[in-house]
Amino acid sequence: MNISYNWLKDLVKIDLSPQELATKLTSVGLAVEGIHEAGDDFVFDIDITSNRGDCLSHLGVSREIAAITNAQLRIADYDSQKPANDRNLVSIQDADLCNRFTARVIHNVKITHSPEWLVKRLEAVGERSINNVADITNYVMHELGQPMHSFDLNKLSENRIVVRRARTGETIKTLDEVERKLDETMLAICDAKKPVAVAGVMGGFDSAISDETTHVLLEVAYFDRANIRQTSRNFKLSTEASHHFERGVDIENLIRASNRATELICELAGGTAGEFVDVYPTKFTPNEIESEDIQFAVKRLTGLEVESNEILRIFAALGITFAIRTPKTTTFTTPSWRHDLAIEEDLVEEVARIVGYDKIGEELPSAFGAGEYQPTESRKKSLRRTLVNLGFNEAISYSFIDTRHDERFDLIPSFVVENLDEKYVSLEDSIIEGATRMRPSLLSGLLDAVRTNLNHQRRDLKLFEIGKVFSASEKENDLPNERELFALVLTGNETLQNKAMPLREFDFYDAKGALEAAASAMNLPALDFHPKDVSHLRRGQSAEISLGGKAVGTIGRLNDEISAAYKFRQPVFVTEVDLETLLEAKEKTILYQPLPVYPSIVRDVSLLVKRDVSFADVQRTIAEQKFELCRKIEFVDVYEGAGVADDQRSITIRLEYRSDERTLLEEEVETIHGQILKVLETNLNAKQRF
Amino acid sequence: MSEEKKQIEQIRQSFQTAFAGFVHLHKEIKDLTLADAESYQRELAELKTKHTGKKSELANSKKLIGRVAPEERGAFGSFVQSIEREITTAIEEAETNLKNFIADAKIERERLDVTLPGTQPREGHLHLLTILRQKIEDIFVSMGYSIEDDREIETDYYNFDALNIPEGHPARESQDTFYTTNGFALRSQTSTVQIRAMERRGVPIRIIAPGRVFRRDTPDLTHTPMFHQIEGLCVDKNITMAHLKGTVGEWLRRLFGKETRIRLRPSYFPFTEPSAEFDFSCFKCGGTGTFESERCRPCKGSGWIELGGSGMVHPNVLRACNVDPQVYSGFAFGFGLERMCLLMYSLDDIRLMFENDVRFLEQFR
Repeated sequence: MNISYNWLKDLVKIDLSPQELATKLTSVGLAVEGIHEAGDDFVFDIDITSNRGDCLSHLGVSREIAAITNAQLRIADYDSQKPANDRNLVSIQDADLCNRFTARVIHNVKITHSPEWLVKRLEAVGERSINNVADITNYVMHELGQPMHSFDLNKLSENRIVVRRARTGETIKTLDEVERKLDETMLAICDAKKPVAVAGVMGGFDSAISDETTHVLLEVAYFDRANIRQTSRNFKLSTEASHHFERGVDIENLIRASNRATELICELAGGTAGEFVDVYPTKFTPNEIESEDIQFAVKRLTGLEVESNEILRIFAALGITFAIRTPKTTTFTTPSWRHDLAIEEDLVEEVARIVGYDKIGEELPSAFGAGEYQPTESRKKSLRRTLVNLGFNEAISYSFIDTRHDERFDLIPSFVVENLDEKYVSLEDSIIEGATRMRPSLLSGLLDAVRTNLNHQRRDLKLFEIGKVFSASEKENDLPNERELFALVLTGNETLQNKAMPLREFDFYDAKGALEAAASAMNLPALDFHPKDVSHLRRGQSAEISLGGKAVGTIGRLNDEISAAYKFRQPVFVTEVDLETLLEAKEKTILYQPLPVYPSIVRDVSLLVKRDVSFADVQRTIAEQKFELCRKIEFVDVYEGAGVADDQRSITIRLEYRSDERTLLEEEVETIHGQILKVLETNLNAKQRF
Repeated sequence: MSEEKKQIEQIRQSFQTAFAGFVHLHKEIKDLTLADAESYQRELAELKTKHTGKKSELANSKKLIGRVAPEERGAFGSFVQSIEREITTAIEEAETNLKNFIADAKIERERLDVTLPGTQPREGHLHLLTILRQKIEDIFVSMGYSIEDDREIETDYYNFDALNIPEGHPARESQDTFYTTNGFALRSQTSTVQIRAMERRGVPIRIIAPGRVFRRDTPDLTHTPMFHQIEGLCVDKNITMAHLKGTVGEWLRRLFGKETRIRLRPSYFPFTEPSAEFDFSCFKCGGTGTFESERCRPCKGSGWIELGGSGMVHPNVLRACNVDPQVYSGFAFGFGLERMCLLMYSLDDIRLMFENDVRFLEQFR
């Protein structure tokens, strides 16, 4: 909102420089965003909050200045002419949407250009001069905050005005030359036959004043705020008029505004004032606010100690009157231009902002109790820290994704209710093209991130994300399911900081290792990995992850089809797990184990097995024998290729033997080791290679 | 000269001939390459074996001592010894020279370029938003606040009604809020957590709620349809705006330094009354508006950084949570984390926050 310094000085005495004034205005809540010089004038760009429609004019800002500086407003009454209530000229059929309507006829007007002072004033506040009558209505709006509209009287059928809801099917070509369809939710200003203006939003093209106009009908009215807002939204048409009306104008200011405009039109366009009609079916009733002790209320909420005289001075300056009704309560009455004052707290704010928020001290509330993080935060912190140490960057992606990802990913177990017609959560409409789905998986976001980085020639990537996913709830009227997941992606090569030469290409086990490290950082029991076909993963390189027998997610290499869709030309490994479920698992209890006293004996053995025998099979087979002295089964290496049949591979494991009571003898170990090898051969057909 | 002595002389002669190539070594050694030195070393070792080893002529010559006449034996013995010493000294000297030279040359050869990069695993980076969120959470937890979070998809009740944003209020218009096809709202502010937390915990309460919020803003330099807010709420008996100012001041001072000043400006939010925007003196220029004699970037030369909204919790909001506004009062504040990041790091495009470009992510720690 542009406000002219010189214009303000016409309305209130100002002893402050533009800079000083700007600071003061900002301090009472009229945030001055900038000051621009305009000839001999200064223009303030003020950000007016939506509750302060009364400040959308020079009069409104002047009132604030008067309250700050204790100056008097210099505002003429312009009450030159008292209106009549002529129902022939104006009739209001829908008084719920039009609380007051005044119309003034001005005869023998000559439409021409405006005098220089008027052009300059309007230019200062950013308005272009059109013609004298249009400029005057604009001028009065900027001065008094009341939008108004001038009709060419001769173009109004039967020279009269009917204010009513529009009828479905009615149309109007508005001043911007757009043909608009009206409906009965909208208030129209009509002549005897048809709508001639969209009330409070924009006038009609055909009834507008033109160079030929000689008789003007000047509309100055008050419309229902919510209705104007709704109409303006429906048309996606926000005008200065609608902006004012939806924030609320001063219903008691209409006569003054009409007289002010009429006076100027008579003076500058040579007209003579004619009939003046005021139809005011819904009389203004001010808000009455009861307060037992406003001084105490101010102190209770703001800590400010303000003298009651000062409080009353502030209220008087702001137009708030009071009456002591009972010995205990005072009733404050709000002025017609303030739509935002309804409760005692509002009055407290009025006092505090005029006294100055800078007068409020700084205190800390007295001690209360210990602060606490979210219960899961410390484990999530470890998770994040571990992954970062492993070289993963943390991604944060949009929660909404494209519907083309539907069914692309196997989602975490038991999250989506499969038999629903609409399993996912969708937005009514989107801002980012196509992105109407609330993500059921973090993977699409991470893969988009991979794409972005590959496009920037970053081929070695490790990313993770922690965030919520969404699915429709089983019952239609229940809030959707939300769950926090953890996902990671890696592709390319392991590299060192500041070294161009990569160490080696990432594989499945890098993803698995990172996930295991993450689980370990959260002090979880070991995760289990079972081979499983997963629709977004390459067959044979995918697994289901479970914790304590409960499936919690998947891991593997992205399949070729999705890779191709993303134009990935290198293997990409992904995992996604249900973090909420993981965090529900109790942390492992850590108990000290006495350090070994006796030395251990270690045996490496390479086992030739069929390819479908897994390391876990080997591990389990040995563990099932419960050899007390066999303390550890470690993986050493796996070999396939020359010297090993196509359907076989060689798994090398390391077995550690130790007793807590004595130093083991070689022969004892040989016996157990031999038994183990025998069991492996019997159960898994595993032959010792060397 | 006796025959024996002559023989010894011959041994000496033949050694000297063989050793001729090493005589000048001690002078020229510094010009040798390591390979030459090593080959000299090998040759010298052979020469040593040949001239002083068990089967050498010198060793054999000891037998001559027995052959000379007994009265000459002493003198002859001394002579043989002196020749032997002469030979071994010459060899040892050359050996030592070579050995030292080779050792030095090898050390020299293994001299490292200490400016090559160290072997350092590539480290990752937390997202800028996580870094800032954790810092702020740490500060508030130390001030006795608990961290809260809740749903991201909400009912109109929690997103609007309970927050004193009645039907018809401009903030409720759908161009600001995303709706699901089932009519639920993506929360447009973390203030929803105020309500949920007060319902759960009752009052008195002190919480901070960081979280993701959604508004229907088309992405541009300063807007994204999703961003993060941190909301603070303190409700107790006798809470005033002075506590709001003190609390906001305290955390900003802990984040930006002791000199930081706070400014409240009257504003309007449906869920607070009185309402205030809170600004703090610019961390870069210290509030002067000028940094290194140029207009300060983060505060655009104003000396103040506008951070967020705040105020005293509206009585209707307290009532919605079954808290009696006659007995309790409280303050709330909220601000956008992305905006704070933009200011702190002079970022010029907020969309970078969600593009996950590692060239961006790796700049922060």
